[in-house]
Amino acid sequence: MVLSTDSRWEVVDRIARRTVAYGTYKRTLGDVLGELTVKPLTGIPVAVAALFAFWSIFCSFAGALVTDGFMVKLFDSHWLPWLQSVWPDPASWHYFVFVGDPLADNCFEAFGVLTSGLFVSIGVVLPAILIFYLMMTVLEDSGYLPRLAVLVDSVLHRIGLHGYAIVPMILGLGCNVPAVTATRILETRKQRFIMMTLLAIFIPCGAQLGVMLEVIPDMIGLVFLCLIGGFCLFGYILNKVIPGENPEILVDVPPYHWPIRENVVKKMWNRTKSFLKEAVPFVLFGVLLVNLLYLGGVIQALAAFFEPLFVTWFGVPKETVGPLIAGFLRKDLAIAQLSVIPMTAYQMFASVVLISIYFPCVATFVIMLREGWKELCAALAVLFVVVFVYGGLIHAIGILLGVA
Amino acid sequence: MEQKNKISGIYIGLLGLVTLACGLADIFVWAGINPGFQVGILEIAGDDFFRWAWGGFIMVCAGLFMIAGSRNALSLQQFAKVTLGGVLVWVIAGTDIFARICENIPAGEEAPEFLNSLSGFIGGFAPPYPPAVILLPFTLVILYLLYTQAYDTE
Repeated sequence: MVLSTDSRWEVVDRIARRTVAYGTYKRTLGDVLGELTVKPLTGIPVAVAALFAFWSIFCSFAGALVTDGFMVKLFDSHWLPWLQSVWPDPASWHYFVFVGDPLADNCFEAFGVLTSGLFVSIGVVLPAILIFYLMMTVLEDSGYLPRLAVLVDSVLHRIGLHGYAIVPMILGLGCNVPAVTATRILETRKQRFIMMTLLAIFIPCGAQLGVMLEVIPDMIGLVFLCLIGGFCLFGYILNKVIPGENPEILVDVPPYHWPIRENVVKKMWNRTKSFLKEAVPFVLFGVLLVNLLYLGGVIQALAAFFEPLFVTWFGVPKETVGPLIAGFLRKDLAIAQLSVIPMTAYQMFASVVLISIYFPCVATFVIMLREGWKELCAALAVLFVVVFVYGGLIHAIGILLGVA
Repeated sequence: MEQKNKISGIYIGLLGLVTLACGLADIFVWAGINPGFQVGILEIAGDDFFRWAWGGFIMVCAGLFMIAGSRNALSLQQFAKVTLGGVLVWVIAGTDIFARICENIPAGEEAPEFLNSLSGFIGGFAPPYPPAVILLPFTLVILYLLYTQAYDTE
């Protein structure tokens, strides 16, 4: 049967009458709140409050409740003394590798695979990662994250990125591995390269944050300030130096809504599961390798070799070479190692910044390699320059302020 | 409706002024203008940048939002500003209460047991309180207006 044009329109009208409801759109409170959170004047204070809540809940849950409240007692008062009493021959190599220092009275200082290794991965990093991913998922699923992307868009354009770069940046605060993968949401190779490089250098992961909270709670603000300063400075330079485009984006902002519990649980489980699979073996293997290198005298030889660079240029003790090697396996592990090296407050601060900006951990390294070996090589070249220049700059500022 | 709008506006304006004053006090005490003070159940310790300077800034913004929304407070646009101000106070008070809960669940470093006793846990919530926690019950009026949809939806 062939329908004429008029008949077709008649059918269309009939369908439309039965399916389309007409009315006037009424703005809701949610709509107005949504608008207010993307306008800079009202949106910036809300973003500042969201970050405040994020950090405060992170510290209270991971720091005060789980790690300080339960894990420190469990590991230091029960696990460590039991292990020290049952493991045979404290003078043996296997005692040094698996239990660590026989005189240590806490798991941070023992530095054995079964003491520091387990304490860092289960007692410190796991609670930090759990609460981080919970809050991240809530922000994502409530519809706040796209608004944050709109809000920071103009700022990020100054360093060659756009608003959605906030997603890999926040993900990077949990773990750099999914963050590097998330750089694919950026449009051009230039943007992806800048984001990947800045992630590897200036964004500390959740594990690192958890350990920093334990080791240098009073200096975290200062370390963050240095990392944010470096992020903006080197982002600006990279944007000027690297050829390529920074296209504008159109962001689809969904309405605010309550996160669905099943989705939150599923996302959290998937993220935590992959983190546990990747992180725990690396921490244990990292402690094992560093202890073996200590036993073989490799760390001591490297420390002696790099002494002029570390002491003169960076202003940190030569013993930080050991943690820097461990830092390639896990940066959280490296910061835990720093806590037992005797040094001044300034040296501790400079060492933590150095470890943060130094080589990405091996898991991130592998993911960066998957994104392209040329990009990886270029990112590493930038990284060496940044570590050398920024590390020296921090030392110079320390000397000028009379604290170094 | 007119009468309700006026009364709500006066209440929200006053609440905004008090919130603003509390936020400024948080920042001034942190900056060392006053070395921390306690009046009755209210305490501003001012010993930590994150809690008092950063948190104080958020309280200042909350106060300003409430003041800005107090004129014709029950219109949709204005009530959204008031709600945003209330949310900021709830963020600060909520994180303060959450921090107390987290600190009071474990028994403490010296105690042999892991969990705090019930009396120890409840005792951890005794006064003094920071300004945001004291302001919390007064901001519940905003929640009431929100749930009863007292604002103009047209």
